[in-house]
Amino acid sequence: MEPSASPLHTVGTSPQRLDAREKVTGRATFISDLRVPGMVYTKLWRSPLPHARLRAIDTTAAASAPGVLAVLTAADLADCDRYFGPAYKDQPILAIDRVRYAGEPVVAVVAHSEREAAEAVTLLEVDLEELPAVTTLDEALAPEAPLLHETLRPAGHFRDLANLRPIAGTNICHHFHHARGAIDQGFAEAEVIFEDMFTFPMVHHYSMEPHVAIAQVGNDQITVWASTQHPFPVRKELAEMFGLPLARVQVIVPYLGGAYGNKSYTKIEPLVVALARKVGCPVRLALTVEESFKTVRRAAARVRLKTGVKRDGTIVARQCTAHYQIGAYADVGPRVAQKAGYTAGGPYRIPHLHIDTYAVYSNTVNSVAFRGYGVPQLAWAYESQMDIMAERLGLDPLDMRLKNLLRRGEVFAPGDLPIDADLPGDLRRAAAAIGWGQPLPRGRGRGLACVIKAPLAPSVASALVRMHADGSVTLLAGTVEMGQGARTVLSQIVAEELALPLRWVRLAQPESGTSPYDQATSSSRSTTLVGLALQAAARDLRQQLLELAAEQLQTHIAHLTLRDGGVEGPSGRLSYAEIIAQHFGLPGGELIGRGGYRGERGAPLGGVAPFWEVSLAAAEVEVDEGTGQVQLHRYISIADVGKAIHPQQCEAQEEGGVMMGIGHTLFEEMIYQDGQLLNPGLLDYRIPTITDLPGDLRSILVENADGPGPHGSKGIGESGLMPTAPAIANAIAQAIRVRLTALPLTPERVWQAMRGAQAHRTA
Amino acid sequence: MLPPFALEEPTSVHEALALRARYGETACLYAGGTELLLTMKEGLLRYERLINIKLIPELAGMALEDGALHIGAITTHRMLERSPVVQRHFPTVAEMAAHVANVRVREVGTLGGNLCFAEPHADPGTLLLVYDASVALAQQGGTHTLALEQFFVGPFEVALADDEILTAIRVPALPAHTAAVYLKYGLLERPSVGVAVAVTALPDQVQEVRIAVGCVGPTPRRLRDVEGLLSQKELPEVRATLDAAGALAGSAADAVTDLHGSAEYKAYLVGVLLRRAFERAYQQAIRGDVGDTARGRGTA
Amino acid sequence: MTDNRAHHGTATGQVLSIHVTVNGHAHDVLIEPYLTLIELIRDRLGLTGTKKSCDMQVCGACTVLLNGRPVSACTMLAFEARHASLLTIEGLAQGEALHPIQEAFIEHGGLQCGFCTPGMILAAKALLEENPAPTEEEVKHYMRGNLCRCTGYKRILESIMVAARRLAQTHNPGVLET
Repeated sequence: MEPSASPLHTVGTSPQRLDAREKVTGRATFISDLRVPGMVYTKLWRSPLPHARLRAIDTTAAASAPGVLAVLTAADLADCDRYFGPAYKDQPILAIDRVRYAGEPVVAVVAHSEREAAEAVTLLEVDLEELPAVTTLDEALAPEAPLLHETLRPAGHFRDLANLRPIAGTNICHHFHHARGAIDQGFAEAEVIFEDMFTFPMVHHYSMEPHVAIAQVGNDQITVWASTQHPFPVRKELAEMFGLPLARVQVIVPYLGGAYGNKSYTKIEPLVVALARKVGCPVRLALTVEESFKTVRRAAARVRLKTGVKRDGTIVARQCTAHYQIGAYADVGPRVAQKAGYTAGGPYRIPHLHIDTYAVYSNTVNSVAFRGYGVPQLAWAYESQMDIMAERLGLDPLDMRLKNLLRRGEVFAPGDLPIDADLPGDLRRAAAAIGWGQPLPRGRGRGLACVIKAPLAPSVASALVRMHADGSVTLLAGTVEMGQGARTVLSQIVAEELALPLRWVRLAQPESGTSPYDQATSSSRSTTLVGLALQAAARDLRQQLLELAAEQLQTHIAHLTLRDGGVEGPSGRLSYAEIIAQHFGLPGGELIGRGGYRGERGAPLGGVAPFWEVSLAAAEVEVDEGTGQVQLHRYISIADVGKAIHPQQCEAQEEGGVMMGIGHTLFEEMIYQDGQLLNPGLLDYRIPTITDLPGDLRSILVENADGPGPHGSKGIGESGLMPTAPAIANAIAQAIRVRLTALPLTPERVWQAMRGAQAHRTA
Repeated sequence: MLPPFALEEPTSVHEALALRARYGETACLYAGGTELLLTMKEGLLRYERLINIKLIPELAGMALEDGALHIGAITTHRMLERSPVVQRHFPTVAEMAAHVANVRVREVGTLGGNLCFAEPHADPGTLLLVYDASVALAQQGGTHTLALEQFFVGPFEVALADDEILTAIRVPALPAHTAAVYLKYGLLERPSVGVAVAVTALPDQVQEVRIAVGCVGPTPRRLRDVEGLLSQKELPEVRATLDAAGALAGSAADAVTDLHGSAEYKAYLVGVLLRRAFERAYQQAIRGDVGDTARGRGTA
Repeated sequence: MTDNRAHHGTATGQVLSIHVTVNGHAHDVLIEPYLTLIELIRDRLGLTGTKKSCDMQVCGACTVLLNGRPVSACTMLAFEARHASLLTIEGLAQGEALHPIQEAFIEHGGLQCGFCTPGMILAAKALLEENPAPTEEEVKHYMRGNLCRCTGYKRILESIMVAARRLAQTHNPGVLET
């Protein structure tokens, strides 16, 4: 990383988002706004039962309903590979002989209008034979539990899942084990041992825009407009399923109305492509919110932590057993269990670690990627237990954490990136900001939490920067704009490299046919890693400009710099436009820079972390002891960002993450009963509103320029929500001396806990 | 997507009643539609016809008459919220209306529609019970009045015959030295527990307490047994009885366990909200502010 | 792209002819009684700025102003807009000149993915017209029915407070901003 010769002109500032004008005027085109000429519509018949054998499907009445073009079941799609999935190819496009969750799509009706399709769906007759269902962890893990999948077919998408470890004869589709030191010795050395259990519920992403896809198939080519964060993995999956070369599969992604992971990997695209293939015209599928609730969620988890410490608070040993309840099909469940499990020790120095995490199938909606990727569930456990331990040992929770936090340069796990942040420093900032240690009125309490997450590794990104004849540039990169501000930030990085005003830099809409390969818009990686690829591409272009200018100005390259849209040196200045015109001999032509990023491969998970995503929080709450309602007075979020390319967007991402964390901490829970999801909509599933804003919500950015990304940046975005639950629970414990271990902390749960504690005290 | 229906638009109560008689169960009265259309979208109700009653002049308007607020059936929550007359003379009603659902529902949803739909998780019915409100029900032969307390029969069920239309709600002013308070608790979008209390008191003397509970059981209801425990007593005795009153109110509320919470928690909360509402109403009553007195006439 | 299917037979045979002014432009349309306002706006008039999310009046993504009042287009019947003046997000800016609320949202980061933004901005407009100098509590109360999953609301609140001051400024140029 070279030091800048001059002050940065856009990086580190907060210019207007490049997509802001479009979005405030309603002109921005989201996938749900797209219309393709000749487009027809599909609606789905979904299983009402959580587990059943498909005996017969009578489509006659539906097929002859007005406006209907086709009625399709899995039997009609047998001329392609009907299964998809990033870990296991276990999910059929439409249910084949069995349905495995209530809401699973079974029949697709294609008609000229949505209304006609919906009416025809009501005419379908499907004969189901109910099978026993498992909808809780205990049911799914029971010895005689019915198995959701008898055989499993690995998909081969992830290097770090080269070895999937299902446990035969059970619903466990992956067992991740990670150990260091010798756990028995560790517990023998400990002076006090704590054993606690924590649970995290099923929650739903609720992106404001549900899933939509439009597919067009013809001329030996597939085009899909998809609400997806992963255009390239989707392309790969479609190419494999439908037998086409990658070059003939085009995935186009306009703005997404929110994702947070629910649009990761393949979702409804194969179905829409299969339908378009059958009917011969473009087909659109737009899920309703209820259908999205029945398509994606976060993994629920039960975490058992056994931690051994010295009386002075030093952590010596930790055994973690975590069961992640995933849904009927694996999606990224195994990866979530694995990647999160890897950090079950938290950001702490623990010599003896023994971790087992499990991904467990159940007859419920698929659990998919969700901001935090399994870590919020574990952090809920380990950061809550930290305070339990501190309390019992008579230690200040801040001091206990400072004692055990890994320092910069310390090993997290052998073979992986050492810690790249000043964790104690960050925690001290959080504590200072909340006024830790200062007196509080009765009924109020403060809590802290620190969390670490490993990003997707290894990963690959590539980018192109095309400089046009007038010196403006188009960036080609596969990053999807879903609200995080990628379009703006990536443009800033290139504008900085090429000394161009931001307006002269434009990131094109990601399309797999023209954007170079990028693995994923997820895992807080885009600013950092796609940023590196773009920076490299910009530097490649810069080098070309310098060489041409050196020739044209008859001077040595060492004397030249880029400034204000041109190259200048002692012998003169040429604008980029002049350089290009001179080079090509006409007012046309372009220069293209290319760049890439390829992550280091290595133990233990297959890829070396390019950076650690760390997040810290401090909360101050007040509990209404009459009702159990929790009021959040203050919340501080620390994001260790290395270098904030766009500080306002960094803070905004943190604030949004915090609010999402408040949601799963205080309100959100998907409630299942007899295999049915009782609350697939906003009347009975409560997401935060503006009235839930803490009195004082602040995001503090720590910029130590210690990341691998452009200008020392690191990834954030998942950080905001990872420590929220334990920080709040710790504050509640401080306020009313009651410890809750099951989320969400609804007023009723708080009240129950208070009563329990009361009974315990009077007993 | 709404299932198809035809629209009828009567311009008089008489015409509306004739349409009801003609189409029976295949038609439904439609005002704001905030509950009706939602239920139809969900596929739980289906009608061949909707009878739009918003063009009937007799159903509109608010007026202060004979010490009571007369509210036309198609008055929206927002109209109640923002009416200077309601704010001045029935401030608790305005405050309750201001917190119904969200602003868009308040702009469109009507009080008459809300009461007739009888969704248990609702606010207006509970508060209006402590005002001894009544509803005017029109038939072809004439109009009769029914106490609101008798209007609520069960969840989504009211004492409205097929040949009747609710035309107005009458809310008497509270007596002198009386203040009303409505407190609610909500976990989800709709309210989970609602407690309304009206206290008539002089300093240290509680003359009358009216109590209503809503959202937790099948319908909102007055709790007269509990009222008896707290009325005609000196303040210290009332305060000493509040815990028992709260417990009695909780069990009398007939709470059900649902997604909003367990019956046990709701019953407990009824007691908590009752205590808090009583204290607040008592303080307001003896201060003489918020007296909800209505003198004279005026349109709202 | 507009959809004229209403002319060719509705499920009940009933067609209503309504006159509605949308963003200052008069329209005469033939619609079925069960057409929702959002279907009229997005599908028939091709104005896709108004968004559909929860479809049950809770989230506010579909907020439009009917005679200045905020309503949920997803659950309002289209014919209720007859003889009325409807404002959608497309009608707020004057050509390229943005409304102060739009400018405030841009400057203060009141949007991220942007899907809730049209409804959020229109609700804010209705609020500020009714209450030009709201307190933060009043803003929160009024905006409670407009959900956002990206921003965490802090910058939405800020944007609205700033917009309120700016609008007051334009109406009272002599008054200093506090």
